[in-house]
Amino acid sequence: MPQVKIIAKNFIDMVASLPAVKLDMLYANPFICEAILRSLPPLAKKYVLQMMYIDAPIPAKSLEEWVLPDGLSKHRVAIDRLIQLRVLSETVDRKKETSYEMNKKFQINLQKQLIHGGILPREPMASSSVILPSSEELEIYALEQWEHFLLHLISSNQSEKLTNFSSSMMKVFQRGLLSQRDKEASRLTEYGFQFLLMETNAQLWYIIREYIANAEERGVDPANIISFLLELSFHETGQAYNINTLNEVQLNTIKDLSDLGLVKLQQGRKESWFLPTKLATTLSVSLSDTATRKQGYVVVETNFKMYAYSTSKLHCEIMRLFARIEYELPNLIVGAINKESLYNAFDNGITSDQIVSFLQQNAHPRVAEKVPTVPENVTDQIRLWESDLNRVEMAPAQFYDEFPSKDLFEAVCDFAREYGALLWDDSKKMQLVVKGELHNEMREFLRRQKQ
Amino acid sequence: MAPIASKLYTDDVSLVVLLLDTNPYFWTSSSSSSLSFSHFISHVLSFVNSILLLNQLNQVVIIATGHNTCGYIYDSSLSSVSSSISANESSGDAKMPAFCSEVLKSLEDFVKNDESLSSVDAGNGVGSSLLSGSLSMALCYVQRVFRTGPLHPQPRILCLHGSPDGPEQYVAVMNSIFSAQRSMVPVDSCVIGAQHSAFLQQASYITGGVYLKPQYLDGLFQYLSTVFATDLHSRKFIQLPKPVGVDFRASCFCHKNTIDMGYICSVCLSIFCMPHKKCSTCGSEYGQAQSDASTLSGQKRKEPS
Repeated sequence: MPQVKIIAKNFIDMVASLPAVKLDMLYANPFICEAILRSLPPLAKKYVLQMMYIDAPIPAKSLEEWVLPDGLSKHRVAIDRLIQLRVLSETVDRKKETSYEMNKKFQINLQKQLIHGGILPREPMASSSVILPSSEELEIYALEQWEHFLLHLISSNQSEKLTNFSSSMMKVFQRGLLSQRDKEASRLTEYGFQFLLMETNAQLWYIIREYIANAEERGVDPANIISFLLELSFHETGQAYNINTLNEVQLNTIKDLSDLGLVKLQQGRKESWFLPTKLATTLSVSLSDTATRKQGYVVVETNFKMYAYSTSKLHCEIMRLFARIEYELPNLIVGAINKESLYNAFDNGITSDQIVSFLQQNAHPRVAEKVPTVPENVTDQIRLWESDLNRVEMAPAQFYDEFPSKDLFEAVCDFAREYGALLWDDSKKMQLVVKGELHNEMREFLRRQKQ
Repeated sequence: MAPIASKLYTDDVSLVVLLLDTNPYFWTSSSSSSLSFSHFISHVLSFVNSILLLNQLNQVVIIATGHNTCGYIYDSSLSSVSSSISANESSGDAKMPAFCSEVLKSLEDFVKNDESLSSVDAGNGVGSSLLSGSLSMALCYVQRVFRTGPLHPQPRILCLHGSPDGPEQYVAVMNSIFSAQRSMVPVDSCVIGAQHSAFLQQASYITGGVYLKPQYLDGLFQYLSTVFATDLHSRKFIQLPKPVGVDFRASCFCHKNTIDMGYICSVCLSIFCMPHKKCSTCGSEYGQAQSDASTLSGQKRKEPS
């Protein structure tokens, strides 16, 4: 797995990278077609709609007639995206005229959608047979599960409730986030720290991505998982769906997903069912970079004190990344941001911008309305401390010593001075320091002098 | 649970308010012969589906414009999927998609209600429908959406209109158009009747919407999806039909006739087709106490533009 800059943009990029055969298979599923359509740039969406009932290939020239001169770059982006996702296929005929044709399966599936309207992947169970948790309960459940998972991820010994993920699975998730030195306790890597400060959606996406990438090793077709996850996002939050409607792969997947808090599994007397949570249904929303805001909990004061109204251990761990925790009360964590704690964070590869944006995004509702949310003196100081670290610039230099004679030393000094590369010299000890880039010339000069 | 308004919207999320002309006089007249009402509805339903398909946050509201009244037919934000399923079960109609049956049912109720309100002998010729009413309802809805918070879908209004203009609604329609302009809501219009509609031409021209009178009504869906499904963001990049000419004629306030030239009150700008001694709108009296000088200014000619 390459060290991805953690935000691999979205699901659809992953879909686009699938081989053509798999992609065509995916388009047999109407929900995937829908999800793909929704993820397209606005102009591309429009083209798809416009070409929906055109069976013949459309010459590229007539497509270009649709756009104004200003929009030509957007047009290119849209068409490229469509071709990349194999929604359009490009053909060049004998006269070098390019034309596009829409993927037949994709087209037919969407035509059906147009006629029948949005349908659900599966019918929810009648509400009489199951007791549904309220949406708040469900959300709390989802967040709890997710936090458990994260806590387990970063420090396996801390979470009291174990997840069902096998340790090998966990290792896969931890890869890139934790660095394991032999026998030592594992440490978070730079990416690990950045990961913790990201939004839930971005974190979720990272994990899901790893999960899908790992699918092949577990002997599961990634395409199946992708299609199931996309399908899941079309389910309605908080409705119960019978688990018997799933096939075996999906059944295995859903157990893993419940550990992540994407679904809640429940058992009745006869049947068991699953309830998709907000995390699952926003999974496809996050495709279009839509972020959901959580209730924040952090208040930062101008005296660098930080109060976090949270009961979560995870939050405490995150705070500890860049602040000194002073008290942990039942519903409040009090900490202070100071130079040492921040240097610690910077050492771990966290940037000041990440810290500031974390504080802003998770601001307590009371302060969230204020402008600025985090006091300016605090944000400025955080940035100043970071730039403090970058005060010294390193440049290579060469140190010369043990000259045989005073004359030679002086000659060398003059030579270096001529090039403006002499940094320091001590005529008593006959030592000098010269800029690194002049080293070759210096050697040449010394050799000539010796002769 | 975070309310839907707290989501960050991408720039192509739209709220489309559809105004459907359900005027029975129009649909039974010969001018609509190329397109029956049922065909029309099926085109529109597919169009609504396509809008909802494009983005999960898109929202469609359908308002019916009747002869005597207008009313909300459908609001995609209210009908959750589960509720429509239960409605479907109760009607026992499994073949028709829940959304369609819902729309058709409320449309039927609306038409019945509209019929019951009609006076005995309104049926001389093709009556106009209550465009001003449905326009204002649409604008009210949009205003409500604006007030839900800083993040809301981009609203636009689409009039699917066939009946001829009712000159008696001139003032009300113009007022709606100007308030749409003020709140930056484009009014798109698609004329399915025989003649051009001066009201809608002006509405689209003033608010920056698209005015189109399709040549072949059989392909209405293609027109709708090609032109009117374009979100406001993409409109900057796309060739859209340009107005060929706009009929700016006004109706006079006294007899509700459409006129090329007329007299306007210098005080309140009311338009009349013949000179009056006193403005019927604001009550100013012309040319009596002051002599000739004021009669000149009092009876300016309205310039046809």
